[in-house]
Amino acid sequence: MRIIIFSWEYPPRIVGRLAYYVSELATKLANSGLKMHVVTYHDSLIGDFEEASGVKVHRVTNPVKTHINLLTWTITLNQEIERITANIYYRENGQIDLIDVHEWQFIPAAVTIKRAFEIPFIYSIESIEDHRSGGANNPMNIAIKSIEQLGVLEADIIIVKSEWMKNEVKTIYGVSTGKIKVANLEERNGLKAILDVYRSLKGEGTQK
Amino acid sequence: MKPSPRIMMFTWEFPPRIIGGISPHVYNLSKELAENGAEVYVITCDFPGAPAHEKVDDVEVFRVDSYKNPAPDFASWVYLMNMNMQKEAASIIRDLGGVDILHAHDWLVAAATIGLKHVFRKPLIATIHSTEVGRRGGIYSDYERMIHETEAWLTYEAWRVICCSNYMLIHVREFFNLPADKMVMIPNGVNTGEYDMYLKENLREFRNKFASSEEKIVLFVGRLVYEKGAQVLIRAAPKILEKVNARIIIVGNGYMKEQLLALAESMGVAHKVTFTGFLDEESLKKLQVCADVAVVPSLYEPFGIVALEAMAAKSPVVVSDTGGLSEIVEHDVTGVKIRPNDPESLAWGVTRILLDNGYADWIRENAYRKVKEAYNWSRIAQQTKEIYIKVLEEYSRTFWA
Repeated sequence: MRIIIFSWEYPPRIVGRLAYYVSELATKLANSGLKMHVVTYHDSLIGDFEEASGVKVHRVTNPVKTHINLLTWTITLNQEIERITANIYYRENGQIDLIDVHEWQFIPAAVTIKRAFEIPFIYSIESIEDHRSGGANNPMNIAIKSIEQLGVLEADIIIVKSEWMKNEVKTIYGVSTGKIKVANLEERNGLKAILDVYRSLKGEGTQK
Repeated sequence: MKPSPRIMMFTWEFPPRIIGGISPHVYNLSKELAENGAEVYVITCDFPGAPAHEKVDDVEVFRVDSYKNPAPDFASWVYLMNMNMQKEAASIIRDLGGVDILHAHDWLVAAATIGLKHVFRKPLIATIHSTEVGRRGGIYSDYERMIHETEAWLTYEAWRVICCSNYMLIHVREFFNLPADKMVMIPNGVNTGEYDMYLKENLREFRNKFASSEEKIVLFVGRLVYEKGAQVLIRAAPKILEKVNARIIIVGNGYMKEQLLALAESMGVAHKVTFTGFLDEESLKKLQVCADVAVVPSLYEPFGIVALEAMAAKSPVVVSDTGGLSEIVEHDVTGVKIRPNDPESLAWGVTRILLDNGYADWIRENAYRKVKEAYNWSRIAQQTKEIYIKVLEEYSRTFWA
């Protein structure tokens, strides 16, 4: 299987826990025999490419330097994510099995790629705007929620890390629980659970 | 080379959604391209009452759900709209089995089209109608700088950049550091057919609503903002009225309206100046046909479509020798050029036309012929199609093809 992970943080760029989580996930998946690409952001490394522990890491920077908020920053950056993903797609002759998007930032790119190439995507949720915003509902929060909503709608599968979050996503975004899977790398058999989700989407059963 | 390239236009406005000049531009260009044998698809924002998908004059129009939630500000809305526009366009392109060229109009659709260019690996062409630097007279805030950088990004990603005047072309080239061979000047157009029916009509009764039969009509059409220069015309009014019995008609609205009314009062010409406010399209066209002289006294003008409209309406034009106006008008042949921001010069230009009917007719006929030849949409579409063909030919030799 060839997988692309989208994450807006990846070592050496570390904002929170996500960077470590995604890098551990990508490395473990590569060790399990999957062909792993990570497409991520870096402030200054333009078009940087690195292959470490079997993971191909592609880093893009924002084509527009000046921004007025996180939204405008995110949407211009998404175009570079699409560019790099398309490059991988064409280089691999379209052999991309799925995209695993961590958090909301690169949902727009995943949706466009899905619609253009019919590549399914997984929306891996660590947290949601409803919880992060602490009840605030200004236009910024609403816009981020609308992107999360888009992700929830368009994703083929949603991965959350706990039953509690599964319930929250179900309630807040009105999505059927059948679409939400609980899988956490940090728990026992977490890797296997994630691999099972990947394989179910690929329609391959449990072994390849 | 495909004989009929499939063109996908991206614009944030398309009739019936009309905000500025891009809407009629894309409408006319698309229509004529389709008549010239191109397959044209337009991706634009939705509008109350307008269908999400329809065929307008052989052009297939898709109105996508633009962002409807409250946005933090206009620019943020633009980006959110781009996100929506892009995902819809991705599906449409896939359903169509691909398109050959993506054509973006201004930064308002930059993000959507740049992503699609790389995803589908098709050439992107950008028409830059105006720039943030030009609109604001400089870049003074992060908000403006972000838009400026988005414009730079679009021109960087575009295979060709089209500007509607040499003035704009030089401006865009210098501000975004573009190579000269990437740029093309294709003028804006005017549809003379829209004026021809009024030229044949007896408009005496209509004219009488605005001026007496003894009064010559001096017409200004434009937003009442500093750079459009209505104040220069009012300052010139006493000098004009010394020599000719005239009625100065000012069409349009803007923040300077009160100031202009006061100015007319203080110059002692208020009784000879009419402010009509915003006029409906039919009345405006009729008035342009009735005008004895049309004045375009702009201090800044990237193109100057209002001068072309006057020329199509067979009204002799007096224009500031600046920006796009300098290119549209040939002095003493298709109009009279005056020094910008100079009431003396303006009064000279206006009276020169109003006092010499033979001269006025000569200007009128030359200008009409020029507009029909150089600024008709069929010719503009032909020039644009030639650019498409050339770009596709270049593209066919790249590894993207």
